[in-house]
Amino acid sequence: MSTLVVIDSAPYGDWTGREALDMAFSLAAFDQPVTLLFLGAGVNWLRKGQAPEGISQKSVEKNLSAAPIFGVEGLLADGRDCEAYGLAEADLIAGVTRVDVGSDLLHQYTHTVFAG
Amino acid sequence: MASIHTLHILNKSPDHPRFQRCLTALGPEDALMLIENGVLATTTAGRLATVSGQIYALSPDLEARGLQVDDSTFVPVDYEGMVRLTTEAGQVISW
Amino acid sequence: MTMQHSEPFSFTIVITGAPYSSQAPQTAIGFARAALASGHRIDRIFLYGDGVHLASALSSPPSDEPHWPREWSQLLEAHDIPGIACIASALRRGLVDEAEKKRYELSAHNVRAPFVIAGLGEWVEAGLRSSRVIYFHGGSGA
Repeated sequence: MSTLVVIDSAPYGDWTGREALDMAFSLAAFDQPVTLLFLGAGVNWLRKGQAPEGISQKSVEKNLSAAPIFGVEGLLADGRDCEAYGLAEADLIAGVTRVDVGSDLLHQYTHTVFAG
Repeated sequence: MASIHTLHILNKSPDHPRFQRCLTALGPEDALMLIENGVLATTTAGRLATVSGQIYALSPDLEARGLQVDDSTFVPVDYEGMVRLTTEAGQVISW
Repeated sequence: MTMQHSEPFSFTIVITGAPYSSQAPQTAIGFARAALASGHRIDRIFLYGDGVHLASALSSPPSDEPHWPREWSQLLEAHDIPGIACIASALRRGLVDEAEKKRYELSAHNVRAPFVIAGLGEWVEAGLRSSRVIYFHGGSGA
């Protein structure tokens, strides 16, 4: 069993992505294989240099950098969405793989889930 | 009945960004199940032209919205039919 | 009960859309009733994110509107199905059971029986044990 947890909402503006991250970390904590996929506005989670102190939130960039330590197997991002949001390779946090999102990708996972 | 690799349950209206995402992710062996606001897509059939698999629509949601479907394109199913589809598909993704 | 041609399945139903802001609890109950009527088993209901509002004991819709928290409670009780609200989602949104009320020294608790509060481990287990985990999301957020 392997799970793909999808985040397609931008960081900070709502809580769905954080709750998706909690799902991924829970799976990892129970030794279940899990990969995160960032789609659409969700790719903005992956931008380097986030400083959310001024809006009194915790940095999702920092949360995400812990993903490999917790056992999340991969950070995937839709390549076209990265381009659409001006995210070149150098703008992305470490460890992100850009992918084409289609049935070939989704069929590799037993479960594909959104947090909301 | 041909087996379904993945059943995609889509409850978003055609204007929601996740609607198009779902269509992009549909494989030829997949099926699409429209529920809630997703059934509004039955009025904009052109937007579903790329879908090669079978498209189902939840009848109580169609009826609630005053929609009647052309059975050659969309298969109306009730809740029991939806349950059956989730057991026939190898996996289920809710968008 | 209708005869099944195939093996009965076991379902976990995950609801992430709130009542009265989304159709999710209503579609999910239609699905759950149909699954039971078709001879399948429902292992558990898991409420996540905004879905935890379904477990509120204080929801008081106008009397001519459906009472989704009550309808769900009745279905869970009638079929002895565990209903679980994710603890992290619930506490953030002010859904509190008696134990959490004591722990955080709050003035009240408001989780409707038979719903209980528990961690995401329940959801992880659902993915391992149930033959299908079906999600019912809200309709607008993304």
